[in-house]
Amino acid sequence: MDLILLAELAVNGVLTGLLYSLFAIGLVLIYKASSVPNLSQGGLTMAGAYVVLALAHDMGLPLWVAIPLAAVVMFVFGMGIERVALRRLAGRPVVMILMMTLGIDIFLRGTTLAIWGGTSRSVDLGVSYEPLFVGDILVSRIHLLGAAVAILLFVVFVLFFRTRLGIRLRAIADDYMASWSVGISVERGVGLSWGLASIVAVSAGIIWGEIQGVDQSLSLLLLKGLTVAVLGGLDSIFGAVLAGIILGIIENVGSAYLDPFVGGGSRDLIMAAVLILTVMLRPHGLFGRTDIERV
Amino acid sequence: MTPALEKEAASILSMNSIEVLYDNVMLAIKGVSIQVPRGGMVALLGSNGAGKSTTLKAISGLLKVERGRISRGEISFDGSVITGLPAQQRVEMGICHVIEGRRVFEHLTPDENLEAAAPVSMNRATLKAEKQRIYEYFPRLAERKNSQAGYLSGGEQQMLAIGRALMTQPRLLMLDEPSLGLAPFLVTEIFGIIRRINKEQGLSVLLVEQNALAALEIVSDGYLIENGRVVMHDTAQALKSNSDIQEFYLGGGSATNFHEIKHYSRRKRWLS
Amino acid sequence: MFYRLSGVHHNSYVSESRLYRIPADRNLALFFLALGLVAPLLVGSLYLNSYLLPWLVWTAAALGLNLVTGWAGQLHLGYAAVMAVGAYSAVHAAKFGIPWEFALLIGGISASVVGSLFAFAALRVKGLYLALTTLAMQFVMDWVLTHSPAISGGSHASLQAPTFALLGQPITSDIGLYYIAFSWCLLVTVFMLNLRRTGLGRALVAVREKDYAAAILGVNSFYYKIVAFATSSFIGGVSGAVLVATFFFLAAPEQFSVTVSIQVLAMVIVGGLGSTIGTFFGVALILLAPGVVNGIVAKGAIALGLQLNVETLAHIPTATYGALIIIILMVEPLGLGKLYGNIRDYLMVWPFDQLKR
Repeated sequence: MDLILLAELAVNGVLTGLLYSLFAIGLVLIYKASSVPNLSQGGLTMAGAYVVLALAHDMGLPLWVAIPLAAVVMFVFGMGIERVALRRLAGRPVVMILMMTLGIDIFLRGTTLAIWGGTSRSVDLGVSYEPLFVGDILVSRIHLLGAAVAILLFVVFVLFFRTRLGIRLRAIADDYMASWSVGISVERGVGLSWGLASIVAVSAGIIWGEIQGVDQSLSLLLLKGLTVAVLGGLDSIFGAVLAGIILGIIENVGSAYLDPFVGGGSRDLIMAAVLILTVMLRPHGLFGRTDIERV
Repeated sequence: MTPALEKEAASILSMNSIEVLYDNVMLAIKGVSIQVPRGGMVALLGSNGAGKSTTLKAISGLLKVERGRISRGEISFDGSVITGLPAQQRVEMGICHVIEGRRVFEHLTPDENLEAAAPVSMNRATLKAEKQRIYEYFPRLAERKNSQAGYLSGGEQQMLAIGRALMTQPRLLMLDEPSLGLAPFLVTEIFGIIRRINKEQGLSVLLVEQNALAALEIVSDGYLIENGRVVMHDTAQALKSNSDIQEFYLGGGSATNFHEIKHYSRRKRWLS
Repeated sequence: MFYRLSGVHHNSYVSESRLYRIPADRNLALFFLALGLVAPLLVGSLYLNSYLLPWLVWTAAALGLNLVTGWAGQLHLGYAAVMAVGAYSAVHAAKFGIPWEFALLIGGISASVVGSLFAFAALRVKGLYLALTTLAMQFVMDWVLTHSPAISGGSHASLQAPTFALLGQPITSDIGLYYIAFSWCLLVTVFMLNLRRTGLGRALVAVREKDYAAAILGVNSFYYKIVAFATSSFIGGVSGAVLVATFFFLAAPEQFSVTVSIQVLAMVIVGGLGSTIGTFFGVALILLAPGVVNGIVAKGAIALGLQLNVETLAHIPTATYGALIIIILMVEPLGLGKLYGNIRDYLMVWPFDQLKR
């Protein structure tokens, strides 16, 4: 393989990887603020994309109104999920919380498709499909836009977790009981993190919906998002971005080399292999917090 | 004013015959009444499982988290009834509970631990001054304010837990076993600091301890809880010289072996 | 922890370790056993084979998962992969000419071997991380299945199962197939009911509650984790094979995809972790309720004269299935088994006080 093709694969890998990060940031946000593994981010992303579509296409609002409005709707919806479903499970074993988020995912998938139907729809962001040439390398414009959004969110949330509110959210993730004891409202904090993750889901839903169409396949991003989040360390936003870039390159270059041998479809395999290896060798990922056990 | 009412007016916290149920079935404390005088220091003594921690949780509102509830009685703080209020509101009113086991926010630095506990309404300048005040009380914390709290030593973590509680601007500080697992000189140091804060700022303190000897040195009053009931209430001086207390909680009594103590304890309970 | 008894008291260890701690339970079990035996006479073959049979086989499978998740406390999101191993090896063995009795056994054993691989993940990590690893392993298995024609049966990726036969007698009638499923479910149920009374069961619970504390007590938690995974995988593998042999009649990768793994876990959790009777309820609810709700909605729409979209009708079962998980976890996180236990305990205090004796 020649060098230009490899470079092109790598650059596009970085961009795709950043799009995975965009999805994974939603997972990380909730884990960082409440230690809850959120397996419903796929469903939320789907719901976010469909809400944008409903506002923009069905109600005819311009996109610059529909997108912020969808963000607000989904923020409230995310807070609602915490209020209705997760608040009662605080302190229960992780298996029940996992199942609850899986249930939410399934429910969201079912309801969005029942309301809006399963045919793939397009967002029509108005970004040209004309590829961009950077030197000899082909780059897709929508991927560039998505990568920019991912980096923007990364900066915003890194700064956010340094604020007093952000510190309080991190405190909640550390110890619910201690947080209550000093007057931190755990419920409101966890709700806020779900709200923010839902906003992230809207942005991921729009970008991915533009790339592959708004349909059920959006919820399949969960495996890739999980791999990125785990490799980066479940509670590190910087980790999610870096892991996204690394995984994007591995996946793009790796599948280009592997696919001819195994007859396609090696992307999922690579993701699953990385996930297994990460958990086995370094469960806390590249930048995750390690549990401090003192005797 | 009757003497009883006068006493109530003088106390910042009064708890009247409180009963606590866990899971709607388990009666953890039965009719506990406690008064904490304004600016005073009171100790709650008793053995494991006597109901001391439950009493504190009833006051701070943390019972709800463990599926417990107050089924009878009334708690009033500074003249207003707080029995049904959520924990957060009680912290805002000025009750802060340092829970058992030094549960600092492990992945945050001591500095962030303090900031997390500061009231939302506190402005930046006050926040800085408050942190400075805590670091003055606990100079050891200032030295390590930017390292991860999970890696602090046991004594430093306890200091951080107390300092964090002080950030909430409490008027009543409740400490659950601050001496647990600490070296005696650290216990003396921490108790000394608590005493100092109590004197300088008029902070009322309710202290739960198994280390009765150390606790009775600094408090003015003590309650003895056994099996979810208050069995004794007296001044620290009187408690220290009480023969039963000496026997069971301070050590150095006349009984020479465990069997004798058990027998004695059982007889005492029957007679009381 | 998961099954708190209230209102029943024991005066001796013997009475505590009885299979049925109260006679009412035994009578109920006998009643259902009889009902299961005569079911072919009571319901038509449509209901028998499209509802009762899958319910029984899925219950057997879910009981296997309950062993590892409910009893040993190990999260498992790759159970369908294990079932697939059992199903495919049994079908291949049967195609090869091995009698079905042995083919089922081969399926169970090979599932057991592959399932033990999952256990090695459990030796290193637990909780959330174990769930993620097993999930990833499920994806790997999916990939292997869809990408190796030798296993999945050529370009159409579907593998016809040979006619089921026992002792050389081909079994093709609906009733015969039903009894196969019924016996397998009965076997697993009896095993699970007795688990509580064995050292194995107690050791698994000890590992679940705190594995390192169990290790201090002399329970070899590594050994028991592997045993738990191997046993549960054996049950899963045979259940997968029985499912293909009596219900699907052909094996395809989608029958054992990740969504199926999640579905079986949902059955177990909705039923109640560690509860055998609850698993029966959980499977019934997850397997049958979405279809029932869909039917009701469709009929209701017609009755009200509403024109429902085909798409909408097609996705209502999924939405119902998700909603069921959410609602049950909200109402009683310990599942239907616990709800049943609560109701039973309540009724035992009043009005059926005398049943205790």
